[in-house]
Amino acid sequence: MRAMVIDDSRAMRMILKRIVTKLNFEAVEAGDGREALDLLADMTEVPDLALIDWNMPNMNGLEFVTNVRADPRLREMTLVMVTTESEQSQIVRALAAGAHEYVIKPFTEGAMIEKLALLGLVPTGANS
Amino acid sequence: MSVEVEVNENDLAEMVEQVWESYLDPEGINPLIPTYDENQPSEVHSSVSITGSWTGHIVYASSTQAARRAAAAFLAMEADEVSQEDLTDVLGELANIVGGNVKAMLPPGAFLSLPQVVLAPESTARFPNTQRISGVYGIWDGEPVSISMWHSRADNNQEVGA
Repeated sequence: MRAMVIDDSRAMRMILKRIVTKLNFEAVEAGDGREALDLLADMTEVPDLALIDWNMPNMNGLEFVTNVRADPRLREMTLVMVTTESEQSQIVRALAAGAHEYVIKPFTEGAMIEKLALLGLVPTGANS
Repeated sequence: MSVEVEVNENDLAEMVEQVWESYLDPEGINPLIPTYDENQPSEVHSSVSITGSWTGHIVYASSTQAARRAAAAFLAMEADEVSQEDLTDVLGELANIVGGNVKAMLPPGAFLSLPQVVLAPESTARFPNTQRISGVYGIWDGEPVSISMWHSRADNNQEVGA
């Protein structure tokens, strides 16, 4: 399994990488949506999961989700927004654009693993 | 036009507690201990600006040592391994997280900026026509840390004149 971690904060990318690596994902990093799309264009194997910040320079998370959903090659990728944007209207926008799940910062490791378990990406109880 | 909002110390304290629980003190052994001292010193600070339905700034300020410890906790490294780039990144993310959660408590139509980080005391910040409306001031592992919320006075004037 492969995961792409997209956040302009290196610290947040490290936290997310630690979590997914612990869950046996191979992790790839990108600092914004544009860089993530460029990396995806060069990949022969599409990641199973992308964890996406919303507020990033160059291309934000919502634009990234919209671009991914418009590309049939990336259709199978599970998209999870990981962001401080916690208003109901923003969550609805992200889900309408094609995100599968939404995690609000700050989050604990356990909460993130629970979300991934709900999506069927890790076994239920992986947190215990 | 900006509207009056009520994000008080308790709301901020709850957000700060969540940040500590999630990233800075997941074991729950080293919480931020309140001092209620608005004038406690700082050596570095970061901020995010909010515009739209409410206009103002959320400011995270601390000693350099506390910032180093925060970066070390985020990045899972020793405090003496933390670079200036690491400090900048983590301070920015801390302001972003608190700012984003404050924004969620504001009326719809508020927008959050990307974070600004200044490796200098909060007192050097230039936020013209602002008034501090709320703040959490404390000591973390013996070092000062604060999170404060500043409202644009220009907005207040507009409301009076509206």
